[in-house]
Order: sequence, then structure tokens, then C-alpha cells
Amino acid sequence: MTSLLTPDSPAESTPAAASRKRPPAVERFRPQARRRLARADVLAFLAWLSPVAAAALWLADGGARGFNSWAGTATALGIVAGLIGMDLVLLMLLLAARIPFIDNTIGHDRALEVHKKLGKPALYLLLAHGLLIAFGYGAAEGLDPVSELVSLWVNVPDMWLAIVSMVLFVAVVVTSLVAVRRRFAYEFWYVIHLLTYAAVLTAIPHQFSVGGLFVEGSWQRWYWLALCMGTGAALLIHRVYQPLAASFRHQLTVSRVVRIAPDVFSIEMTGLNVERLAGSGGRFFFWRFLAPGHWWQAHPFSLSAEPVAATPTDRGPTGTGKLRITVRNLGDGSARLAHVKPGTKVAIEGPYGLFSTAARSRNNVVMIGAGIGITPLRSLLESTPFEPGHATVLLRGHGGSELFLGQEIMALCQARGATLYHLTGPRSAGLHTWLPQSAAEAGFTLSSYAPGIAEADVYVCGPTPWAASVIRDVQSEGVPAEQLHYERFDW
Amino acid sequence: MRIRAALATALASAGILLAGWQSGAHIADTGTATTTSLSSATTSDKSSTGSTTAATYDGASVQTRFGTVQVQVTIQDGKITEVTALQLTDAERKSAQISSRAAPALRSEVLQAQSASVQTIGGATVTSDAYLTSLQAALDAANF
Repeated sequence: MTSLLTPDSPAESTPAAASRKRPPAVERFRPQARRRLARADVLAFLAWLSPVAAAALWLADGGARGFNSWAGTATALGIVAGLIGMDLVLLMLLLAARIPFIDNTIGHDRALEVHKKLGKPALYLLLAHGLLIAFGYGAAEGLDPVSELVSLWVNVPDMWLAIVSMVLFVAVVVTSLVAVRRRFAYEFWYVIHLLTYAAVLTAIPHQFSVGGLFVEGSWQRWYWLALCMGTGAALLIHRVYQPLAASFRHQLTVSRVVRIAPDVFSIEMTGLNVERLAGSGGRFFFWRFLAPGHWWQAHPFSLSAEPVAATPTDRGPTGTGKLRITVRNLGDGSARLAHVKPGTKVAIEGPYGLFSTAARSRNNVVMIGAGIGITPLRSLLESTPFEPGHATVLLRGHGGSELFLGQEIMALCQARGATLYHLTGPRSAGLHTWLPQSAAEAGFTLSSYAPGIAEADVYVCGPTPWAASVIRDVQSEGVPAEQLHYERFDW
Repeated sequence: MRIRAALATALASAGILLAGWQSGAHIADTGTATTTSLSSATTSDKSSTGSTTAATYDGASVQTRFGTVQVQVTIQDGKITEVTALQLTDAERKSAQISSRAAPALRSEVLQAQSASVQTIGGATVTSDAYLTSLQAALDAANF
């Protein structure tokens, strides 16, 4: 099965597939997709409204009276900038809090994308806040901005904390920009991001104690308190409590490590209450293997098989459901995971992401994967509902040995009635295409393999440049955004 | 984001801002109403030795939502020589902090300008307004 298969000779298809004509089926995923779109609208609505509300708080306090002098205008603008900036920071924290409602609606990677987009505006607003206030207060007292800052630091309680916070915010954004560019290890970036919590916490006291907006007894104070406490609670619940609870609930233990290619291996785990993870095939967890040399690193990997719940008969002492991930050595410590000993306990955070049935909107489904990105498709293929003949799977690799879990996928396609194509061969030298050179030269396009793609859910998983090329083709086939499900895999 | 949601967001944003602005304007109105209704200056003349007379005048006590503000002004030889705060906003710890920062700054501004027409202090608008209103009442009482 290593040769290139043309669209006329799919690797496998079932007899039930194209031959039997049926009346157009009810689109059973439409309601779910509509609900998800509505939730996305609600989230966008709230996200846009919250900075507006922050500005309105200030207006309601008679803030607009400040615009009667240069100094007053600078101070007024500074206060508004600070309010909106802090609101954006809270939004960023909420987006990174892995709240199930957000994750089920826009997915983990989209949430982080928005989180990143907000970083710079938030920083600029906070910087503007500091400068405008220093200028405005200074001008009102006949001081230059620097002397004013010094006087604020010395004379006004909590202001020194606010100035420290500003320095921390600048440090966090600058270092994370550098860290992204230089491709520092995830852990380095993570530690820097922990400073954000220090920056936010040191920023909070002066908001309530300096400036008249959030005085005790005002409704604005309650609103702002609720916003800050709500964000803090969301972080504690979903970033601290839920992972701990999940780790204790499932008690995962490595049962064995199986090498399936020179640099690819599957890690199989057993655990309790695995039935609660049903349907999370294709979604990912952060895995932390609790062994010397491993425990400090949490790796994001997708499940490469639908979780297997324990049957009533095999509840023994070890007894128990099964989970599996399939890992490629991408450096950064994932190579050492091959040497994880059976019996190692595993702490988890998850499942996260929308690479699952929860994202479906159509009856038809097309899955396109390359490299190690094939593995989440494997578990999605196992679990997501479709009628025989309504699913197409495209696997891309240099050679057949790169179609990881290819045998399992073929067996699943046979059992469930999915059409499977193996697209193997070298990539095209000149053409910017995700297809093998030979297929592209023969004139095949995406619709040659998946003719009904415009009316299908399309799941794409693979290296970023390759996936970008796939997504371009998918979009040019007229697939709307709500049907396109893409998971970044190289992070 | 769909058009309907975008429209809803735009409308809601406009509504919230308008509501905020309206209630803000309302606060500004009630603020001035309070200060004017409560102005009643009392004078207590004091003669000192020598050719110069120093007189002190108490300003109106002005209610703000952070507490009462009242100042006393000393006028000697037709000049404002001292402004003392008899009462400052101290409704809460924070207001007291603001007052303790704003009062010395206002005093030096007033002594320099020799009038109540000076800049308010950033971050202490309410206290400043009340301070200057009380001061103006005292100056009016002194026919300054």
C-alpha cells in the first residue's frame, strides 16, 4: 500500500458506499453547528462589549468632566486607556483559562490566537495609561511626568506596585515576542508567562485605592471586583482544580510503549473512569509523565485512539480503560518519552480542542492528514458518526512508512465504509501544492478525491505550511469556515 | 461573527456608552447643586498687633459623596496668606489618601494664584472642586 493511488482506485471502499442511492438524509449535525455559531456570537458580543462597558463605567462616574483642560484631558484619556487595557488583560486571561464553554465554541487554538492578538493592544493601552496619567497629574501640579511618577511612587499608597506592574507587563510582552521568534522551549515561555500573574496582581490594588472610580460603595467597584474575581476563579478552577481532579479521577498509568516507526511510538495507558472521556478521540491533553526527568514537562498530544472504557468483566486490580497517544520525536524532550517505563503515573490536563464530533456540521466528512497529524484523524475516524460512503480519508506522506497507523486506519475505513486514499511520493519542487508531485502533475485536485467536499465537514491536521496549502484548496472548493476544522500540530 | 451579532454588538455598545454618559452627566449636575445649596460663610475677625490686620474666614462646608470639605482662609493686607483645611473628604481610607495628597498642592496653588481659580488636582477632582468651592465662599464672605 505504498504506491500512489489515483482517485479511480481508492485504497478501500465498502460495497455499501456509492452504489446504494438514498433519499437525502436529514442533516443531523445542523442544530449542533447552529448552536455553536450562536455561542460564538455570544462570546464575540461579550468580548466586544466588555471594553465598552469599562469606558461606560468611567462615563457614568462623570469622567467626561475631565475634558476641560490639557491636564484634565490627558488624565481622562489615561484613565480610559487603563480601564480598557485592564479589561483586555482580563479577556486574555479568560481566553487562556481553558474554560469549557470557550473551548467547545471556538476551540483551544483559536482562543489562543485571539489571546495573542490582544497582547499588543493591551500593552499599548497600559503604557498610554501610565504616560498620560503621569503627564496629566504632573501638569495639574506643575511637575514634569518623571517627577510626578516619583512623587506618585513615594506619596501615594499602592502606586509603587502599579509601576512595578507596568515594568512586568513590558517585560512579559517583550520576552514572549523574542521567545516566539527565537523558538525558545515551551517551558521558558511558560515561566515568563507566569510573570503575567504577578503583573496583573500588582496592578489591581491601585485600581481600587487610587482614583475615584472604584471607591467603596460604588456599583462600579462591585462590577470591577466581580470581573477580577470571576477571572481569577475561572483560572483557579480550570487551570488548577480541573487538571488535578482529572489526574486523580483517571489515575493513568503507562502500560506500554510501542515503536511503530523509527522516530514514532505509541504510548498506551490504562486508567479509571475512562468512559467519562468517551468522544474525545482527536482531542488533545497535556500529558505530564511523573518520572524523574519527565515530570517538569507537559506535552500536548492528541489521542490516537478513542478511549476504551473498562468492560464490567475486566475490572481487576489494574483494571480499567485504555488511552493511547502516538508521538513523533520532534525534539524538545519528546524523544525521551520513548523511554518512559511502564507503571509511570501520568497527570493530565484536558481534553481540549474542537478536533472532534462536537465540531461537526454536516453528515459528510472529509479527513486530510499528513505526518504525525494522521494520528488524531485515526481516533476521530473511529468515533465520529457517519453513514457508510459518507466519509473520505486522505493521508499524505513521503512513503508508505510515513502513513503512521496506516493499517489501523485502513481497517477502520473498511469496517465503517469510508473511502481511503494514500497520497505518497515526494513533494512538488515547483508547484505550491500539498499533493505529491506525481498527483499534481497528473492534474488531480482536491475535488478529484473528495467530489462532495463543499457539503462536508473537513478536518485537516498536519505540518503548518502543508496544512495552509490544504486549507487554501479547501476554501477554493467553496467550503465555508464553519465546516473547516483545523488543528495546529507543530507547537 | 455574523451580521446580526455585529449589529447587536454595535447597538449594545452605543446603548451602554449613552447610558454611562447620561448617568455621568447626572452626577455632574447633582454635584454642583449640592455645593451651591450649602454655602453659608461665617466670619470671625481677629485683630492683631501692628498696622496689619489678619482676618480669617470660614468657607462653606461642601458635601461630596466622599465626605464634607471646608476650608478657612486667612487674609492679611489684602492678600491670601494661608488656607487651612478644616475638613477634608475622609469617607473612606482612599478618600483620605487623596485628600492628603491634593490639599497641600491646592494650598500652594491658591497662595500663588491669590484666587480660587486654579487647576484641580488630577485624580482628586471631586475633592479639588469642593475645596475650591468652599474657598470661593470664604473669599466672597471676605469681599476679597
